Amino acid sequence: MKHVKDSKTGSEGTVVQLLANHFRVICRPQWVAYKYNVDYKPDIEDGNLRTILLDQHRRKFGERHIFDGNSLLLSRPLKERRVEWLSTTKDKNIVKITVEFSKELTPTSPDCLRYYNILFRRTFKLLDFEQVGRNYYTKKKAIQLYRHGTSLEIWLGYVTSILQYENSITLCADVSHKLLRIETAYDFIKRTSAQAQTGNIREEVTNKLIGSIVLTKYNNKTYRVDDIDWKQNPEDTFNKSDGSKITYIDYYRQQHKEIVTVKKQPLLVSQGRWKKGLMGTQREPILLIPQLCHMTGLTDEIRKDYSIMKELAKHTRLSPRRRHHTLKEFTNTLQDNKKVRELLQLWDLKFDTNFLSVPGRVLKNANIMQGRRMVKANSQGDWSREIRELPLLNAMPLHSWLILYSRSSHREAMSLKGHLQSVTAPMGITMKPAEMIEVDGDANSYIDTLRKYTRPTLQMVICILPNDDKRRYDSIKRYLCTKCPIPSQCVVKKTLEKVQARTIVTKIAQQMNCKMGGALWKVETDVQRTMFVGIDCFHDIVNRQKSIAGFVASTNAELTKWYSQCVIQKTGEELVKELEICLKAALDVWCKNESSMPHSVIVYRDGVGDGQLQALLDHEAKKMSTYLKTISPNNFTLAFIVVKKRINTRFFLKHGSDFQNPPPGTVIDVELTRNEWYDFFIVSQSVQDGTVTPTHYNVIYDTIGLSPDTVQRLTYCLCHMYYNLPGIIRVPAPCHYAHKLAYLVGQSIHQEPNRSLSTRLFYL
Amino acid sequence: MEENNLQCSSVVDGNFEEVPREMAIQFKPPLYRQRYQFVKNLVDQHEPKKVADLGCGDTSLLRLLKVNPCIELLVGVDINEDKLRWRGDSLAPFLGDFLKPRDLNLTITLYHGSVVERDSRLLGFDLITCIELIEHLDSGDLARFPEVVFGYLSPSMIVISTPNSEFNPLFPSVTLRDSDHKFEWTRMEFQTWALYVANRYDYSVEFTGVGEPPAGAENVGYCTQIGIFRKNGGKATESCLSEQHDQHVYKAVFTTSYPSLQQERFFKLVLVNEVSQQVESLRVSHLPRRKEQAGEQGDKPKDIGGSKAPVPCFGPVFTEVEKAKIENSPTPFCVGDKFFVPLQRLLAYPKLNRLCANEEMMRSVIADSIPLSSDGSAVVADLRNYFDEQFEF
Repeated sequence: MKHVKDSKTGSEGTVVQLLANHFRVICRPQWVAYKYNVDYKPDIEDGNLRTILLDQHRRKFGERHIFDGNSLLLSRPLKERRVEWLSTTKDKNIVKITVEFSKELTPTSPDCLRYYNILFRRTFKLLDFEQVGRNYYTKKKAIQLYRHGTSLEIWLGYVTSILQYENSITLCADVSHKLLRIETAYDFIKRTSAQAQTGNIREEVTNKLIGSIVLTKYNNKTYRVDDIDWKQNPEDTFNKSDGSKITYIDYYRQQHKEIVTVKKQPLLVSQGRWKKGLMGTQREPILLIPQLCHMTGLTDEIRKDYSIMKELAKHTRLSPRRRHHTLKEFTNTLQDNKKVRELLQLWDLKFDTNFLSVPGRVLKNANIMQGRRMVKANSQGDWSREIRELPLLNAMPLHSWLILYSRSSHREAMSLKGHLQSVTAPMGITMKPAEMIEVDGDANSYIDTLRKYTRPTLQMVICILPNDDKRRYDSIKRYLCTKCPIPSQCVVKKTLEKVQARTIVTKIAQQMNCKMGGALWKVETDVQRTMFVGIDCFHDIVNRQKSIAGFVASTNAELTKWYSQCVIQKTGEELVKELEICLKAALDVWCKNESSMPHSVIVYRDGVGDGQLQALLDHEAKKMSTYLKTISPNNFTLAFIVVKKRINTRFFLKHGSDFQNPPPGTVIDVELTRNEWYDFFIVSQSVQDGTVTPTHYNVIYDTIGLSPDTVQRLTYCLCHMYYNLPGIIRVPAPCHYAHKLAYLVGQSIHQEPNRSLSTRLFYL
Repeated sequence: MEENNLQCSSVVDGNFEEVPREMAIQFKPPLYRQRYQFVKNLVDQHEPKKVADLGCGDTSLLRLLKVNPCIELLVGVDINEDKLRWRGDSLAPFLGDFLKPRDLNLTITLYHGSVVERDSRLLGFDLITCIELIEHLDSGDLARFPEVVFGYLSPSMIVISTPNSEFNPLFPSVTLRDSDHKFEWTRMEFQTWALYVANRYDYSVEFTGVGEPPAGAENVGYCTQIGIFRKNGGKATESCLSEQHDQHVYKAVFTTSYPSLQQERFFKLVLVNEVSQQVESLRVSHLPRRKEQAGEQGDKPKDIGGSKAPVPCFGPVFTEVEKAKIENSPTPFCVGDKFFVPLQRLLAYPKLNRLCANEEMMRSVIADSIPLSSDGSAVVADLRNYFDEQFEF
């Protein structure tokens, strides 16, 4: 990109000095390593076995080597460019290993980084850490918690990666926590069926268990539960590889010394790990014994239990000070451990134990216009207090609407009605009384009633639900988003029982207003004729083959109106084709709202990994730019920005001897950016407890010629525009809208919502 | 000590390419696995507490044995240090070992050293295995071997396996099965040696083997011959152990210990988990049935699968004795909205009884994790918790 060739750093805002959880890697520049490709004949897939087989020739290449499964890095070259070695497997098969010279590597070459990461993993082993997935945990520091019929243990661990940044290679280290649940899948089934409320226990248990990840002790593997086989039990038999039959009980006793004491339990079915490459190939499902499977993650009960979540947060959500301290301890351990030092010395590597110092800039918060007033976010990035009782920017009158309530929530329905009346007046919403309808309370009673009462003029439906049963919620949403498209608002009875009902009702009124196409506030952006687009993906939990992409685009200059569409696609499929359709529809809506077409489109794309950047550029960005050219060959410009929320980089603001989160609006565009990218970090949200996670933005395509200051300021402005929260959020509003849309469709509706809803934020 | 290709002992090094695969005798399961299985069965049968594998190589046998609940100390010794160091990881406890701790402690240690050197840390073992080891010893080491293993270490039981050379003619062009083998014995040779050693160090010996010969060649005997040596007069007594001087010539390369119920942290984790599960299960069954209440179910029960599927019942099946014991224990009760389960009641359940011997012990372990009644005799829970309300219609 030409316009950032000279400088991709901005200058707006107040400069602050920050520390990052990155540690400089120091390596001797003159050192050269030799990379060899390693090939097996017959081919061996198992990475462990590949290592074992190569290890048989360790004497020939020495201690100073790093093997990544495919290639071998040596500090001294072998005598010959190509050698063949013979290894023997335990099954007395001979494997021919061909080791062939590939190239010389300098310590800073990107290829080398992979080896550093492998080397670093070895240091964890030296420090006696337990590897779980990609992270390492220490068994020594465990916290035990007990709640809801199960014991939990939390392990402290670290996640690290070594990468080349703008000026240096750094080790990024962050704290990670692992939750261990003692409960087995059998315990879970037993408990869930005892608590089951409907007549169909099996269905309830199945619904709750599907999608869980279980861990089996005997082989240290994890499986995703895809189904429960109620017809089988551990006394059933299966065919061993030699053809003989054996019962599950006998098999586990003989093979793993695992005793299955309960005969009356179903079997869990796992389809095995889903891999892109294996799509379409038939795989044998794996059957597991619930009693031998440990549950992982948190249960719904625990998630809903405020006190235990608080307790968990106390241990896992580290304040900047505690996080800094824990990481400091970690790097000191690395430094002090003799074995680790020796290992790294083999490769002339050292780590700076000081946190990397990085300058940041704090941008001004955006001006927010609501009604005739202009407000600004406070230091916590919030303006809910400032706008309380202010008229909305664009209030939609409520003339024709329903309130459906279950028999037991009559009182709550009446109170909601009363509160709505009083809170909407200052907002500027004119309201006619709602039609109040009592229903039985089951899913069908709501839908049957809706079927009777819906009419074209109906603007809004409020459903007061007896509880947060997902199936009822899903079927109501499905009905009102597809068959009978009317914006709807579901409220659980319990929410209305709370003391702060007025505050809650205010929020409900605001949300309803947005769902009907109204607007709460607007933000000064200083750009004209620019359409902002957010795209995010959601992967359907029930039907793994599908993924859902949400597409949300602004359709007026003020950024108060949005067009939303979702695309349901097979996993692995590119979004390309439908993007054009979405973009066309959004531009059509824009033309209805504004007198002239936009000049530029700025896309914020969430939900992609670093590995897919080129694919995005080649497909999505290209398709969009080609399409825009067909509309207006000369002056349509496009920027494509990739948004990444899940990153391990953290920034600390030093305050005396203490460490704090950087304030909202902090931009970092030096040191930890990448040389080959046009990227930056923004800390936009403020967090109550814990360390704030910055969001990473990467401008991968730009024909608009956005200067660093402009793109940073615009991006930060867009974080002020999410109508469900009068505060600054983590990502630009269109991205979060796209996420909400995709989530609703993926979780509840499972099909495309009716297009007639697309000009309203019906999914909020 | 053991070469990598030891497991491939039925094929001569270097000659493999000329041997058409069909002609080589294939054992199923592979011979090395049969040998390990043999040891495993022996461990199952005799339940030794301390087991050492001399010439443990890549520690495959140790990995197989570590799941055995009876073993508390597992030691591997090998002369190839590299191999030990890099294999150590696979012997460390897995995540699951923390979730379901063993009953008894287990320590696994790998030593680098030679089996003909004396190290007092290997004294007092119940079982020492030497799988495909002795044929790698030169004559000097072989002469010293019995004196160290039988005379000095003197475990209750020793298992020695070695190739049976009478079987070799069945392999195409085989002289020795591995280039590092110093010798391979006929049954007669092995048995003569074994009987001499057994006699000298007061052991009795029994011969067997693995790797059945093919039909028609039964007279050659097992492919691998095995001698099981048992010390006459049983175990090495502790008193004679203490007389020995500490002699540490081996270098400990790797050591790990497993979480177990003998360790307070894990005992507590498991006991509290079990108690809270039992209390939860009793609590739920104590709640009045909700079904009949007014028809605000989230969804009318659907009849999936046509016929009325019987409601599955999960839960442990108790024997008559266990049932009686539970019924005779104090019953859970309610006071107001609090639900009490007497500790005596909890102790009546077999699973908890197995973990915990008495009320006092249970109380002291769970006291700071689970709310107890004021006199400490019962666990207290809210009869209705928040989660029930999620379902209460």
